[in-house]
Amino acid sequence: MMAALVQVEDVSKSYGGLRALDSVTFEVLSGEWIAIMGPSGSGKTTLINILGGLDRPTSGRAIVDGVNVGTLGERQLTRYRAEKVGFVFQHFYLVPYLSALENVMLAQYFHSIADEVEAAESLVRVGLGDRLHHLPSQLSGGEQQRVALARALINHPKLILADEPTGNLDEANEQIVLELLRELHRSGHTILLVTHSPEIGRMADRRIELAHGRLMHIVANLT
Amino acid sequence: MFWRILWRLLYASRARLALAVLAVASGAAVCAALLNLDLDATDKLTREFRVLGANVVISAPPSGDAAATVNLDAIRQIEELRLPEIVAAAPYLYLSGDAETEGNRAAVIVAGTWLDEVSRMNSWWKVDGNWVSARENRSECMIGEQAASRLGLIPGQSVKVHYAAREATLRVAGIVTAGSSEDSQIFIALPLAQELAGMGERASLIEVIARGSASEIEDVIGRLSIALPGLEVRPLRQLAQAEGRLLERIRGLLFGTVLLILALSSLAVLAAMAGLALERRRDVGLMKALGGSVRTIMRFFLAEATAIGFAGGIFGFIVGMALSEWIGERVFSVSITPRLIVLPATLALMVLVSLAGALPLRLLGRVRPSDILRGE
Repeated sequence: MMAALVQVEDVSKSYGGLRALDSVTFEVLSGEWIAIMGPSGSGKTTLINILGGLDRPTSGRAIVDGVNVGTLGERQLTRYRAEKVGFVFQHFYLVPYLSALENVMLAQYFHSIADEVEAAESLVRVGLGDRLHHLPSQLSGGEQQRVALARALINHPKLILADEPTGNLDEANEQIVLELLRELHRSGHTILLVTHSPEIGRMADRRIELAHGRLMHIVANLT
Repeated sequence: MFWRILWRLLYASRARLALAVLAVASGAAVCAALLNLDLDATDKLTREFRVLGANVVISAPPSGDAAATVNLDAIRQIEELRLPEIVAAAPYLYLSGDAETEGNRAAVIVAGTWLDEVSRMNSWWKVDGNWVSARENRSECMIGEQAASRLGLIPGQSVKVHYAAREATLRVAGIVTAGSSEDSQIFIALPLAQELAGMGERASLIEVIARGSASEIEDVIGRLSIALPGLEVRPLRQLAQAEGRLLERIRGLLFGTVLLILALSSLAVLAAMAGLALERRRDVGLMKALGGSVRTIMRFFLAEATAIGFAGGIFGFIVGMALSEWIGERVFSVSITPRLIVLPATLALMVLVSLAGALPLRLLGRVRPSDILRGE
């Protein structure tokens, strides 16, 4: 039986009086693709932020690769973000004054040492071999998201956290990015992907559905 | 990668940073100019002050005889000492006489001296007409402007000098404006004054201009005292102390101005950096999300501030050297030499100023990536 890479145990998160997550519990196996779904304000992004070490749970335990993320100090959290997770955001979040290549190298630099050849290869893999030295403003939305994907993968993270990665893309670019995610899944990466789209949700192994911060259903998709 | 990102950061914010560099360069220019002036001008002013007349006087010791005089052998002994600090020396024989022109007669102090040394001893005098260049010129004299005015004299006219029962007629070569007692005196050749007084190779006193610091001049006085045992060698303390006070005030003014300029430059950098900190919040949040530590991220921004200080310091140094030359000539009337030691001092000050001005960027260390990525 495959080991659980992610264990979310009774996790709650409150912002003042607002309960963004309410006693959520689930597990993600290594190599699984999980779609996190639910209406706006249901706690999807909060869950991703806690698993990514960007936020801490108010109570409960979020364990990734044996590490209880909520108990890490500031420095350990920084290392955790650099080594264990790769982020893909809806708004791409590339550094605007760095080229595509340098955006990828920046993640390498924070992890350990920047390797230009390896960074270039990762961009070639996402089909951007001819866009290495373009600034984000010179790239289309789809291309920017592919740079973000290359950046998320460059340090070989255990877990890929994608928060509505196709939310800002047209259909053609959406298909390109989804195909890349499929490839990643096939090659054994563990993916947690937040989406509003039922079609994208059905591509995952399982769907976790949230509402008002509570876990409503965990649905296994038929392959 | 560090330098690559730093270059991109600098290039991306070039307009805002150019303003910061300009502010630092302006401050650096004034600081470099004033530091250079402090180093060079005070030294040169010290020398200039030394030229403002004699600063050592040699005379016969006080005694009951009011007319105690110095034998001219003393000045020959001074010359034989060949002290490098001694710039000039001249004997003076003062007589209380009269000067007469057609229709005018007035009491004057007649100063017999080496006329060729008058210009060296009193280089700051304003002279209408000419200096007298021959030491023992018995036909020409120089006269103070107050005495000339009383007698209605202009250069080229003749004046008759009376002392006791003797007299000498002299042509006025130049009229002197010294702003002191010399304005009421008439300067004639020493041998002529000695003849009028009916005395041999003697003078009332010897004036000496010695160059150097206060301690060097003290040393010269000590050596002259040993060489001239029967005479009294005194510094002109009043002038030396006034010089010291003036130089201290100039130095205080320079340092006060430098401190003010540094504070203003720091504020200018602070204003530029505060704007930059707001611009960079999103980038810092993202870098933190990607695993960048606060220390690593802050290193970029501190390096940026250092670069601002460095660039501003170099530009400022170049402008400051030109400025110090201009101030030196216009304000202090001395020629200023650029001192290279001012460059590291300016750079260090400007880097410190920029780092102090970059304090708002430290607030970026508190940015929470989740807030930024949530769009706050």
